[in-house]
Amino acid sequence: MIEILLAFLGSYFPAVLFNIERKNLVWAGLCGAAGWMAYKAVLTITASSIFAVFVAAVVISLLSEVLAKILKTPSTVFYIPSLYPIVPGISAYHTVLFIIEDKIVEAAYKGLETLGSAGAIAFGILLVSTVFRYINTQNIYLRKQ
Amino acid sequence: MCFSGHRCPSIILKVIELEVKEVMNIALLSGEILLTSGSEIYRVEDTIDRICDAYGIECESFVTPTGIIISGKSSDGSNESVSMVKRIRNRTINLHNIEIINTFSRELQLSTLSYDAAMDKLNGIKTAPYFSFVKRLLAAGFTSFAYTVLLKGTVIDGVFAALISLLIYSFLEQMKKVNFSQYFGNFLCSLAAGLVSISAGKLISSLNVDSIIVGSIMILVPGLAITNGIRDALHGDILSSQARITEALIVVTSIGVGVAISLLLMKYWM
Repeated sequence: MIEILLAFLGSYFPAVLFNIERKNLVWAGLCGAAGWMAYKAVLTITASSIFAVFVAAVVISLLSEVLAKILKTPSTVFYIPSLYPIVPGISAYHTVLFIIEDKIVEAAYKGLETLGSAGAIAFGILLVSTVFRYINTQNIYLRKQ
Repeated sequence: MCFSGHRCPSIILKVIELEVKEVMNIALLSGEILLTSGSEIYRVEDTIDRICDAYGIECESFVTPTGIIISGKSSDGSNESVSMVKRIRNRTINLHNIEIINTFSRELQLSTLSYDAAMDKLNGIKTAPYFSFVKRLLAAGFTSFAYTVLLKGTVIDGVFAALISLLIYSFLEQMKKVNFSQYFGNFLCSLAAGLVSISAGKLISSLNVDSIIVGSIMILVPGLAITNGIRDALHGDILSSQARITEALIVVTSIGVGVAISLLLMKYWM
C-alpha cells in the first residue's frame, strides 16, 4: 500500500518537473500508481522483470489513451510522467558503474536488462497506440460513408 | 490526420491566403517548440504537415532531434518554393507546450489565422509560464524522497536524498541560465551527490549510502530518453533513435563517472 502511494508521488512530482497542466497532474499520478501495481503483481507471479515492465507499459498506455480521449489532450501528457517509476534509468547507471569498477559480467547483465526493459516499454506503448490509431481511422472512415 | 476525440472539419470554414514563406515560418516555429519540448519525431512531422495543409501548401519535412529541414511549394502551380533549416540545440521535457501546440495546429485546420496572429500566439507559447522555481525545486526533492524509499531505503535515507536533490536541481537551473555544457553539468551534479552522501554515511553509520545516491540522481538519469529512443526506432525514425540513444548513453556515462570518482576519492581520503 505504501509502495503504491510512493509510486503515485513518483509520477506526480516528475509531472511537475515536466510542466504539465495542473488539472492533469492527479491523473498522471494515478496512471503511474496503476502501472506500478501491474509491475509488482506480474513480477511476483512470473519473476521476470522484463515481462512485468511490458505489462506495466501496456496498462499505462491503455489508461493514458482512454484519459486522453476523455480529457481531450495528447496521450503523451499522461504516459511520460507515469512511466517514470518503471523506466530503466537506474539500471543504466548501474551498468556504467559496473564497467568502471571492472565487473564486466555484471555490467553485461545490467546492460542487457536496461536494453530489454526499454525495448519492452517502447513496444508496449506502440502496441496500444497503434490499436487506438486504427480504431480512430476506422471511426473516421465509417463517419464519412 | 484527424482523431475522433477532436472535432473533424468536413469543410474548412475560411482560408486566409498567406505567402509560402510565411506559412513555412509558422510551421517551423511550431516544430521548433515541439522538438525543444521533447516531443516524439512523428508528432513534429505530423504537426508541420498539418499546418502546411491547412494553408493549402505542399510540404515535405525531415526532422531529427538536432534539427528540422522543411521545404514547401504552393499548390496553385506557381514556381515559388521555399526551404528552411532550423538547428535545435536544447531539448527538455515540457508537456504543457506539446499540448498547446497540438491544439493550435488542430484549430488551424478549422479556421486559419493571419500571419501576425499566428506568430504572436506561438511566441506567447514559447514564453509560457512554468511552475514557479520553488515548486519545481520541492518537486525534485519529493521525487528523490519517493524513489529512495521505493527502492528499499529508509525514511531517513529519503530525507538525505531529498536534500541532495534540492542542491542538484538548483545547480542545474543555474547551469541552464549560463548555457553550460549539459554533460559536464551532470558530471558535477553526480560528483556532488556522491561526495555529500558518502560524507553523510561516514558521519551517521546507519545510513544506506547506495540508496541515497540512487535516489538523489533519479532526476538526472535518462531512463525516459532511452525508452523514447527505442520508440522512435519503432516508428521508423532510425536516425533520430540513434541520436537520442547516443545522447542518453553520454548522459548516463557522465553520471556514472561522477559517482565513481566520488567513491574513489572517499576511499583514499578517509
